[in-house]
Amino acid sequence: MIQPRFSNLPPGFRIQRETNTEEFFINMGPQHPSTHGALRLALRMDGETIVELVPHFGYIHRGMEKQAESMSYLQYIALSDRQDYLTAIQNNLGVVIALEKGMNVGVPEKGEYIRVMLQELGRIASHLVFYGCFGGDLGGQTCLLFGFKEREMIHDILEEVTGSRLTTNFFRPGGSRYDVPDTFIPRVKAFLDHLEDAMRDYERFLSKNIIVLERSIGIGVLSKEDAIAYGCSGPVLRASGVEFDVRRANPYSIYDQFDFDIPVFHNGDCYDRYKIRIAEIHESMKILRQCIDKFPKDGPWRSKEKPVRLPVGRYYSEIETAKGLYATYVVAATTGEKPYRIHTRGPSFPHIAALNKMVQGHKVSDLVTIMATLDPVIPEIDR
Amino acid sequence: MGIINFAPKILDPIPGGKYVVNAIDYVVNWARANSIWPLTYGTSCCAIEMMSSSMARYDIARFGSEVFRASPRQADLFILAGTITRRMAPAIQMLWEQIPGPKYAIAMGACTISGGPFIYDNYAVVRGAQNLIPVDVFVPGCPPRPEALFHGLLTLREKILKETCRNPWHEGQPKDVSTMDRYREAAKTWAALEEMKDEEMAEARAKFKEENPDYKSSFKPIRVKKEDFPEVERKPFRRVGLTQLELYQKLHDKFPGITFHTHSEDPIETVLANAPADRPLEVMVEPEDYVAVTEFVKNDPEFKMDFLIDVTAIDYDDHFDLVTQLRSLQIGHKIFLCVQLKKDFSIPEEKRATSLLASVPTVSHLYPAAEFKEREVYDMFGINFEGHPDQRRIFLDKDFVGFPLRKDFTHPEMIRRPV
Repeated sequence: MIQPRFSNLPPGFRIQRETNTEEFFINMGPQHPSTHGALRLALRMDGETIVELVPHFGYIHRGMEKQAESMSYLQYIALSDRQDYLTAIQNNLGVVIALEKGMNVGVPEKGEYIRVMLQELGRIASHLVFYGCFGGDLGGQTCLLFGFKEREMIHDILEEVTGSRLTTNFFRPGGSRYDVPDTFIPRVKAFLDHLEDAMRDYERFLSKNIIVLERSIGIGVLSKEDAIAYGCSGPVLRASGVEFDVRRANPYSIYDQFDFDIPVFHNGDCYDRYKIRIAEIHESMKILRQCIDKFPKDGPWRSKEKPVRLPVGRYYSEIETAKGLYATYVVAATTGEKPYRIHTRGPSFPHIAALNKMVQGHKVSDLVTIMATLDPVIPEIDR
Repeated sequence: MGIINFAPKILDPIPGGKYVVNAIDYVVNWARANSIWPLTYGTSCCAIEMMSSSMARYDIARFGSEVFRASPRQADLFILAGTITRRMAPAIQMLWEQIPGPKYAIAMGACTISGGPFIYDNYAVVRGAQNLIPVDVFVPGCPPRPEALFHGLLTLREKILKETCRNPWHEGQPKDVSTMDRYREAAKTWAALEEMKDEEMAEARAKFKEENPDYKSSFKPIRVKKEDFPEVERKPFRRVGLTQLELYQKLHDKFPGITFHTHSEDPIETVLANAPADRPLEVMVEPEDYVAVTEFVKNDPEFKMDFLIDVTAIDYDDHFDLVTQLRSLQIGHKIFLCVQLKKDFSIPEEKRATSLLASVPTVSHLYPAAEFKEREVYDMFGINFEGHPDQRRIFLDKDFVGFPLRKDFTHPEMIRRPV
């Protein structure tokens, strides 16, 4: 009878197994280039194989929800920029839609088009960072340079429209802060034409690269049942074969007026999670082209009233960001400008919770690949 | 610096040796100032701008800093990109100690200078990196543009060029200055200056009026033409799955304890039938029924609530509201189960802030996603989950005192926002 090696496992580790090999523990992070921020992973190893993984959060817990209770609703929009900073513009919309439900204010057609276009630009920007980090984590620094090259063009557009590169703070209940400049549509058109060509290069680099295929096919498989049970959403859920996209399930803004597909892949491994993001960039470009054709030249871009007060009640909104389901839950105990409580459900948190399921039996270098394809943003988890 | 520090001792006695020392300084500084290798470190938004600055458009290689080292032992420069939290602070001090001297630090962004957007009502953020490690250059911005980071880098370069064999690099001390004290001092000075300016302006105006009694201003404000925005109607929302009324009636038939709270005086059926389509049904569940209801809605073929969106809580005076948000991926409807947990006031008042005030059974055996979410609720509110497999603090240190999202939470480092 072989005795379990550890009678007292460190906190979080649960698997009791009998082994005659030397198990040991590795600490990864909080300062590690492959954990995509201040995340700490504790690994229990059997030789080179990962037995169990325990994530430790909170190294960038900034107490946003406590702070929000002493801020006004409009000030909180600025804080939401700092959650998922790769697509700050999408977080803005998530908060604003929740507020609009209570403030009972409509958005004119041009305002909705501005919203959808900026959303899709943000989605492309986030997926380009994913592309770069995925290539970079697999050892190809070229991809990192390429992914950030086209992203700078999106930042130029965002800067022209919102006045800021990264933390946009742009949408308001009833529309947005400013109208778009006249150069907006031509620039987006030029960018799309450029990206069309660039995407061919992108796919040529990674999609059939033998190193990528060897290191990602069959690695980190997340089954359909596990993906649903752990609450995964976005590209991670769709790569596991579940067709769920909030843009299609509960269309917000004017997403019901566009013709686009929801790409679904069925293997649930790292390669599918990579392919689905490339497919989503193409779908976003499709939506943007339709927006350019239908973009209203005249007309108002925001509503007449600019409400700041929210009546008593609980308001809930959900949108599909580049990472997945982003939900905002606002509780107003009194009618006024300040929330009683604001809670955000970020998409990355469940993905890291499911990480333990995916890495068991893989090597540490596979963990780096899996982390890259989950594409987590840690401040959104910790808030 | 090693052997070069001895150069003045050896060379000074030799005639003309001082010129050789100066030449050595020039060459060594030129080499050092043009090859500052930063550490790969970033916690939040500023890290992305730091990455952008090293990419093709901005190209930090022009300044010799393109070699980002993942190990602190190979780095010269510590770019503090992103907010520093109390939990991260020891790691930052350890990283700084691991970097071999001469070493430099750039505080990038508002958070590392003073706390930035997180300065008020915050228990988690360190107000300024200079409290932890000696900082050489501060780069303001939220986040700073890559150009601003380059300006910081060039400023640091100038500082390095001033170092000589006779006056070599030495490690500074962290300045343990409370940022708020500096702010208050600055605010006082500013107010005094404003007052002085007002007095001077009033004097000057009075003097001008005496000298020119007939003066009339020719200034006319330019009126910007206001845009006329018409009223906009709200768009109707497409309903998916069962309606609120159907969901409520089916649940109420099975569990009579389930209620729906409304401020309206109409019967519940009318209120639910007229409810907006985009608002999910939020029902009150008795704590005893909580697990049974969750299990029922998960397995019932008419509900099929297979997806847990979130578990969160709200703190009121005498009770917590635990809200479990469920969704059906196949059908598309949502239901929020709200459990009212009475606070346990039998605990003596001085111990209430640090003890668990309510208890509820866990649902993590039904939804694995609930495990981490319930840990978060435990961490933030101090609600005990009976039967939870791994109930530990998740975001805060294990020796943190109190539960931050309670309304009566206090922390010694928390500063109220001046109104």
